Amino acid sequence: MVVVENLNKTYAVGSKQERILDSITLHIQKGELVLLRGVSGSGKTTLLSILAGLEKPSSGKVLIDSEPISKLPDIHLSHFRAKKIGMVFQHFNLIENLTLLDNVLVPLVANRIGVKEAKEMAFAALKRARIEHKKDAHPNRLSGGEKQRGAIARAIVAKPSLLLCDEPTANLDSKNSQSFIEQLMQMHKEGQTIVVATHDPIFKTLECEHRIIDIKNGKIV
Amino acid sequence: MLNNSFFYLFTLSLFKNAKRYIAITLLSAVVIFLLSSVLYISGSIKYSFQKQLSLEPDFTVQKRVGTRLVPLNDSIADKIVDIYGVSEVTKRVYGSYFFDKEHNAQIVGIDLLDEQASKALHNILRKEEIKPFLSSESMIVGESVYNYLKSHFYPKAYNFFTPDGKLKKVKIFKVLDSRSALFSANLIIMPQELAKEIVGLKESQITDIALNVPNVDERSNIRSKLESLFFSARVYGKKQMQEAYENLYNYKGGLFLVLYLVVVATLALILYLRYTLANSLEKKEVAIFRALGWSIKDVITLKSLESISIVALSFVLGTLLGYIYVFMLGAPLLKNIFLGRAYEASITLIPHIDWLTLTTIFILYATTFLSAVLIPVWRVAVTDPKEALG
Ligand SMILES: Nc1ncnc2c1ncn2[C@@H]1O[C@H](COP(=O)(O)OP(=O)(O)OP(=O)(O)O)[C@@H](O)[C@H]1O
Ligand SMILES: [Mg+2]
Repeated sequence: MVVVENLNKTYAVGSKQERILDSITLHIQKGELVLLRGVSGSGKTTLLSILAGLEKPSSGKVLIDSEPISKLPDIHLSHFRAKKIGMVFQHFNLIENLTLLDNVLVPLVANRIGVKEAKEMAFAALKRARIEHKKDAHPNRLSGGEKQRGAIARAIVAKPSLLLCDEPTANLDSKNSQSFIEQLMQMHKEGQTIVVATHDPIFKTLECEHRIIDIKNGKIV
Repeated sequence: MLNNSFFYLFTLSLFKNAKRYIAITLLSAVVIFLLSSVLYISGSIKYSFQKQLSLEPDFTVQKRVGTRLVPLNDSIADKIVDIYGVSEVTKRVYGSYFFDKEHNAQIVGIDLLDEQASKALHNILRKEEIKPFLSSESMIVGESVYNYLKSHFYPKAYNFFTPDGKLKKVKIFKVLDSRSALFSANLIIMPQELAKEIVGLKESQITDIALNVPNVDERSNIRSKLESLFFSARVYGKKQMQEAYENLYNYKGGLFLVLYLVVVATLALILYLRYTLANSLEKKEVAIFRALGWSIKDVITLKSLESISIVALSFVLGTLLGYIYVFMLGAPLLKNIFLGRAYEASITLIPHIDWLTLTTIFILYATTFLSAVLIPVWRVAVTDPKEALG
C-alpha cells in the first residue's frame, strides 16, 4: 500500500541545507494502523505531507498504491490526492466561510461528483463522524472537538485509501481525545489504512492492533 | 469540464463573499461608468461633426468688409457656375436672430429650387408636408428654440422684428427632433424669401454661396479664381472649417482625460485587488483547496469565474449607466469639459457608440482585472500547499 524507500528531505535554511528527513524506509500494508511518534520538530508533519503529495521529497522513492507520487505532474498529483488521500490537519483547516457540509463537499468537487450525490455523500460522512447535527454551522461556531469531527468527515468523504492524521488530539481535551481514539478504532475495524502522527501519550490506550514507528531527528529509530 | 458541484461551490463562494464582490463590482462599475461617459461624449461629438462636416460644401464664398460679413449680390452665383470644375452652387441665406440679449437662434432660408436644399428638406418633412410649409409663412424650429418660444407664450407662432422695425408673424410648422443633427437645437428653418425679410436682405441679396469641387486637384486653382472674383471676396474652405471645429470641441482634451482615467482606474483596481488577495484567509483557502485535491487549474477556474462575473457585470452596468447619463440626461458637468459654455446649450449629444474603442476598453479592463486577480492566485496555487497550511 505505502512504500517509502530511502527518503530524504532537506530545506534550505539561509545558505545551508538542513536535513529534516534522513533515509526513511517504511512499508505500510493495507488496513494497517500506524502511529508515527516523535517530539516536536522531529519531522512528522513533513513525512505526512510527502505521503499526501503536498510536498516533494528531495530524494528517494514514494509509492502509494504502486503510484510513484513524487514524480507526478500537478494535474495527476491533485487527482491522486482527491481520490486516494484523506488528511486531518493539525489545525483542522476548515474553510471559515463555508458551512460544515459544504466544507466536506470540497474534496468531492475535485472528484467531479454531481452536487446532489456530493451532498448525500457529505452528509453520510458527517454522520459517520457523528457531527451531522452541525452540518449547517460555520467552523467559527464549532468547538475544537466538533471541528475535529468535521475535519475527519472531510478526510473520509471521498473514501480515500490512505487516511493521514496530523496531531489529531493536540487541540482536544481528554474527553474529546478519547472519543477520537474510539473513532479511530472504528475506522480501523472497517479496514481503513491509517497513519497518525502524534506525541500524545493518550494513544497508549489504543486497544486495537497497531504499529508504532518512532522518529527522531528525521530518522526512524 | 465544470460539473455542477463545481458550479455550486462557485455560486456559494459568490454568495458568501457577497459584500466584497458587490463592493468590487460597484467600484469597477463606477470606473467603467466614468470611462464610458467620456468615451460616449467624445465619440458623439466627433461623430456629429464628422457628419456635419460631410454635409458642408467644399467652399463657401462670402463678402467681408473689414471684419464684417456683408450680403452678396446673387448674380455672383451665376459667375461661379461658369467656372469650370465647379458643381452644386447654392445661394444661402442665414443669420442670427436675437430674441433678447442672451437668446438667439440661427435662421436658415431654404430655396426649394435648389436641389440640395430640397433634398435636406425631404429629410425633415414628409412629402405631403412640404407644400403647405412653403406656401404658408411658417418655420421649422429646433428643440431649444421651441422651448424658448413656448416659455415666452409663443407656442404656435412668433412675431419677428424685421430690421426696418416691422413685425412679421411666422407660424411654427414643426419642431425638429433634437437627435437629428448636432446644431439643430438652435435652428430655425424657413423659406428663403421669408428668411431674407427677417434677416434683412434685399430680393437680390444672399448671405453667401456654397459650392463643391469634386476634383481635389483643382481645388487650389479654383480657390484662387473665386478669390479674384470680386473685391473683398472671402473664400472659406472645408479644411479651415474642420480646424475651427476641432478648436471648438477640444476633443483632444477629452481623449487625454480618457487616458488619464484609464491609468488611475487601473492602478486603483490593481492595488485594491492586490490588497484583498494578500489577505491570508484567501491564501489559506487556496491552499486548503489544493490540499484537498484541487488542481491548479481548478483553483484558477474558480477564481476566474468569480472575476469574469465581476468584470462582465461591472462593465455592463458601467457602460449602461454611462449611456443613460450621457445620452438620456445630457451629461451634466462632464459636458462642460468638452464644450465651451457658449455651445453647451445649443448642442445635443447624439447617441453614437464607438464600438471599437468600447471593445478596446473592455479588453484592457478585463485583462488587467483578470491578471491582477489571477497572478497572485496562481502564485499561491503553485506553491506547496503545506506552507500556507501551517
Ligand atoms: N518550509 C520549511 N523550511 C524550513 N524548515 C522547515 C520547513 N518546514 C518545516 N521545517 C523544519 O523541519 C523540522 C520538522 O518539522 P515538522 O513540522 O515536520 O515537525 P513535527 O514533527 O511535525 O513537529 P510538531 O510536533 O511540532 O508538529 C522543524 O525543525 C521545522 O522547523
Ligand atoms: Mg507537525
